[in-house]
Order: sequence, then structure tokens, then C-alpha cells
Amino acid sequence: MVIEVRLYATLRRYKPSIPHGVLTLDLPEAVSVAELVEQLEIDPVEVHMVMVNGTSSDFGRMLADGDRVGFFPAVGGG
Amino acid sequence: MPGKEELSLELLAAGRMPERYQRNKGTIGIDGQIRLLKAKVAIVGAGGLGGTVIELLARVGVGCLRVIDGDAFAVHNLNRQLLSTEQNQGKNKAYAAAARVALINQDVRVEPVPYMLQADNAEKLLQDVDVIVDALDNVSARLLLNQAARRYGIPLVYAAIAGFTGQVMTIMPGDQGLERIYKKPTASDKGVEVMLGNPAGTPALAASLQVQEVVKILTGIGEPLRNKLLYFDTEINVFEILTLAE
Repeated sequence: MVIEVRLYATLRRYKPSIPHGVLTLDLPEAVSVAELVEQLEIDPVEVHMVMVNGTSSDFGRMLADGDRVGFFPAVGGG
Repeated sequence: MPGKEELSLELLAAGRMPERYQRNKGTIGIDGQIRLLKAKVAIVGAGGLGGTVIELLARVGVGCLRVIDGDAFAVHNLNRQLLSTEQNQGKNKAYAAAARVALINQDVRVEPVPYMLQADNAEKLLQDVDVIVDALDNVSARLLLNQAARRYGIPLVYAAIAGFTGQVMTIMPGDQGLERIYKKPTASDKGVEVMLGNPAGTPALAASLQVQEVVKILTGIGEPLRNKLLYFDTEINVFEILTLAE
């Protein structure tokens, strides 16, 4: 199962060697968003928005082949 | 003797665009300009986002701006907050907005509110406005504002920034709101701006997008960013429209 992961803003520092925080992963079995966050060794507390294929989702979502997943931190400044 | 705003409205009613709005004509039109001049918009927060929102709404010709901010300018505001100057340090931001707008457009009346929005004053400060602009800088106040906008049935134009990043959305009464964006309380009540700061261009960019939303809502022109979050990260040249699910 191939999925694309995009890390936004401060979450890119978890994968500093990956250009623009865009990773393509080939996973042996289906995973949830929460399991993907764990595999990427990202602190889930830092993830506020999850987007799957451009639409908001959550940690319980099971991912499918070809999904594009975006992880966003909280942005609150003004 | 009619006030300046009334003179502009008289001209517009006769089908003539006042000279100061000539460059609005092709996009906003006579009817749109009348709607803007008759509108009342609350801007909650007069810092990085709010300063630019106020400046642009005054120039485009929104007739009444209620500016709500209990904070005073500090030196570290000078890098980005349009209303801050070396001369008005320590002065209240809402009053600074009124002084600035008086230099720009006499059609525009500013109602400065030199204290913070709270649960117990939200009704008085918000219920009579046409649009609310969220230019706050902490999560709990944003959620409070979203709840108040929903309660009083008023469109809310949200933006938040951090570093090179920003996000903008219009929340109409009954729409999905900020609970979709801030799912968990943050320890500091802030976001990653604590780490990244706010350089000058980011609030100006996000605020400009908020102003476009306000103009669209008030005039009925175009499509507001409704249930759609415009997210930008100019560090890597990303502009995306994300959909908030039901």
C-alpha cells in the first residue's frame, strides 16, 4: 500500500532530510492515521489537523492505497 | 450638513462613484460600495492581523469598524503590526486604530473598544455587526469568539499565522468551525508561533485574504472560503485549499 505523507510547518523537523516534508511510503499492511503517526515517530500531541486527500479527517481513519495524508500543527498567532 | 459618509452615499445613490473609490468601481461596483459603506464590521484584535485588516477595510470603504483590543503596543510589535509606531508605544491598540483611520478615510467611523472580548461582554460587542474578523492570538479566545459568532448568527472571518505559515477561513452561521482546526487544548493556549515567531509578511498576507473575505461577504460578490481552509506555507511555496468535513 503506497501512501503520500506531507508534513507541514514545524512537523517537517521530524524528517529534516526529506525535501518539503513530502514522503512516499510503501507499507506492507493497512494502517490507521494514528499508527502512521507512530511509525513516523511524530509526537501526536503536535498534530492538530489531519487531512486525507485534502479533506479533514482524524486519527481513527484507516488509510487506503494511494491516500495523501497531511499533518498540521496548531497555528494560532495573530 | 451631511457627514462625509452621507455625501459619498448621496453620490453613490445618484449612480456616481466618489473619486476616492474610483479604483474600487470595476470590481466592487456602485451597489457593492453602498453595501460596504453601510456595513459594520467588528475586528477582534488590532495586532499583526488586525492592523492590516483595519487599514484595508478603511481604504476599501467599510463604513463602521468596531475595533476590540485591550492591549497596548510594545517594542516587539514593531516588526509587523501596522498600527504600531515608535511614537505610540504603551498606547492602546484600539485607540491607535481610530487615530490611523482618521488619517485615511473620513467616511469610516471607528468605534474603539479598549478592553478584551470576554464571555460576559460578547453579546454587547458583537450582536449588531454584519461580519466579525478574528484577529486574535490565542486559541481559547478564538474558540470563545467562534461560539459567540455562532450564537448571534454572524459570519466570522478567521485567520491565524506562525512563521511563514498562515490559514484563513470564513465561518458562516451553522458551518463547521474552529473546533475542527483546534482539536485539543494546547498547553500554552498558543500554536507553533511560539517557536516560529511572526515575521512581517505573514500577518499582512493572511490579513489581506481576510479582507477579501469580508468584502465578498458584504457585497455578495464571489465565493467566500466557506468550509474551506486556505493554508499557505510560503517557505516552500505551498497554497492549498483544504476541505473541512461535515
